[in-house]
Amino acid sequence: MLTLHAITKRFGDNVAVDDVTLEIRGGEILALVGENGAGKTTLMRIASGELAHDAGSIERGGAIGFVHQHFLLVSDFTIAENLALQRTWSFASLRKLEDQAEQIIAATGIELRGVSRRVEDLSVGEKSKLELIKAIAKKPRVLILDEPTSVLTPAESQELFAVMRRIASEGAAVVFISHKLPEVLEIAQRIVVMRGGRVVVDTKSMTAEELASAMVDAPVITSTTPMNNIRAIVGVAGNGQTELAERFRAEHPDAGLIPEDRTRDGIIAEMSIAENLALRTKIDAETLIGHYSIKARNAKQKAGSLSGGNQQKVILARELSRKPRMILAAEPTRGLDIEATAFVHEQLRAAASEGASILLITSDLDEAFALADSIQVIYRGALSEPMPPAVAREKVGALMAGLA
Amino acid sequence: MRQIAAAVAALVLLSLSALAFGRSPIELLQILVSGSIGSQFALEGTLLKSVPLLLTGLSVAVAFRAGVWNIGGEGQFIVGAIAAIMAARFGVIAALAASMLAGALWASIATSMRLWRNAPEVLTTILLNFIAIHLLGWCVNGPLQERGGQYPQTDAAAAALPQVGELHAGVLLAILASVATWFLLYRTMEGLRLRATGFNARAAKWAGIDVDRQLVRAMGISGALAGLAGGIELLGVTHRLFERFAAGYGYSGIAVALLAQLHPLATIASSIFFGALTTGAGELQRTAGISSNVATFGEAVVILILILFGSWRARD
Repeated sequence: MLTLHAITKRFGDNVAVDDVTLEIRGGEILALVGENGAGKTTLMRIASGELAHDAGSIERGGAIGFVHQHFLLVSDFTIAENLALQRTWSFASLRKLEDQAEQIIAATGIELRGVSRRVEDLSVGEKSKLELIKAIAKKPRVLILDEPTSVLTPAESQELFAVMRRIASEGAAVVFISHKLPEVLEIAQRIVVMRGGRVVVDTKSMTAEELASAMVDAPVITSTTPMNNIRAIVGVAGNGQTELAERFRAEHPDAGLIPEDRTRDGIIAEMSIAENLALRTKIDAETLIGHYSIKARNAKQKAGSLSGGNQQKVILARELSRKPRMILAAEPTRGLDIEATAFVHEQLRAAASEGASILLITSDLDEAFALADSIQVIYRGALSEPMPPAVAREKVGALMAGLA
Repeated sequence: MRQIAAAVAALVLLSLSALAFGRSPIELLQILVSGSIGSQFALEGTLLKSVPLLLTGLSVAVAFRAGVWNIGGEGQFIVGAIAAIMAARFGVIAALAASMLAGALWASIATSMRLWRNAPEVLTTILLNFIAIHLLGWCVNGPLQERGGQYPQTDAAAAALPQVGELHAGVLLAILASVATWFLLYRTMEGLRLRATGFNARAAKWAGIDVDRQLVRAMGISGALAGLAGGIELLGVTHRLFERFAAGYGYSGIAVALLAQLHPLATIASSIFFGALTTGAGELQRTAGISSNVATFGEAVVILILILFGSWRARD
């Protein structure tokens, strides 16, 4: 179906993919796991032909569909128009485009209503569904999904898994890039672990502990005791979380603000780390880089050239080093690897223990239960009563689905 | 490096255009160089042309850095000069201050329309240019016309910038302005906020910056610089106003700023390059009979090359 033989890719001095050989077979669901920077995405971009490789060879047995971690949608266009862009052009009327879009969506088995809505009005979860529909509509022989669940709720993830299983049962291969271990163990029939550009494990079954230790050199310990002063807002993406965060920002401009979309709202990619920090803190950049263990050449490095985890650390350094009394953390670990996630959690706990009140907006229920001492569900813009975690555990599912 | 390559490429293309007039490219290049930097007289001419270009270039650099597309330098230049001639009887400093204030206020019309109705400043500023051009036409044919009432121009201004040989004190003011602009953009919090807003207004908002206020300030500073350019041109060079007073300095500022990659100090070099091109082109017209419009041609070529080679890109 897809065979990669001795693939190597360098970016300058950095070897992103180092002599990787991998055969992907039809009908299998393969999870490609590893830390940020392990080479997973680079390897798959090479496999799909998006990126040229420096050495090795590739055999492709058919079309490859790739759902990227970042959205590639035209935000001024409707769902139907975005789907129509896939095809060679025709003089179809708008009405016809919408009918066709509904057929395409129905054929994928994914639920996405209102094809005349503009993409900029969609929730993050809905946008990721649209990306998936775009990829599946091309009937690929290999479907690559890069961190698809990072913006989905548990229910939406289940919906995605059902689609993945169906596609695999129809004979196509599904490659699932992830660092959420429970999901990997749930869905994958084969697990490939990458570290430092190499494949270190290729196996049919594995325990969570084995998987975690294969991904990182040092074992990661995460505490699960909830802290005081942290309130979590959970819900299906698109139920008003973005609006809530915007309102909080407008009402508390001096709070520590960690926005949900760090490349769009968080860092200023074209400016240096030092300049990004100086926007809100007077503390010296070198000190903060050390204190927040930001991996960078120096303080003058452009923030946009950092990895996702390090970009988030720059934002944490900027927002939390001022010791604000209030903190908004919106999806603070979206798309981050295990180590970076643990670091963010540690920093939020430390801030809470120093007396800051934290509003955590998250679509990751594990995160909510690990951090918060009080949980509210947001559904269609309305908040439920705050609940202690023990109570919430029973009720969030129904509340998130609007059933209670 | 790309900037220098673009400038050189523009010169080469310009020289080749001599073939169209049946002349040798080398000859054209020689005239261009000797007419712009070949003698003390030529050099002074170049510097005089560079002053307004430097200031309008800085005006564009500040605005573009803040993500504000101020294309209204021409209009701000004109109202700056009108204000300067009216305030000149209170002295040269009052006249310069008036020119800056007038430029800033003219620009703030576009800002207000942006804040009130989200009208794009790239359109409103350019339309305000047309209004300013006709305002000037009315002034020199009406209320500000010379006492004799013979020509469509004003009397000489009641004050003038101190002269140093053929040059005037505006040269120093312009260099001072570019250092001050550099200091503002790269050494102050205000500048950091302006640039942050220009790069990514959403992220700037999340970092606690009031982006509307940055728009007002960037436009105000930009307008003041273009207005000052008009004031200095009036008080140092022309001493009177006439219909074609602005001569495209406002628009040329865009080329100057882009060639300097929107950097205030590089704008000095860039303005001298374009100043030399304009002065040299004047000499071409006198001695070789080639239209001085080749200077405008050169500007266009530089911008096109810079865009093609991607050293300047629009904000995404």
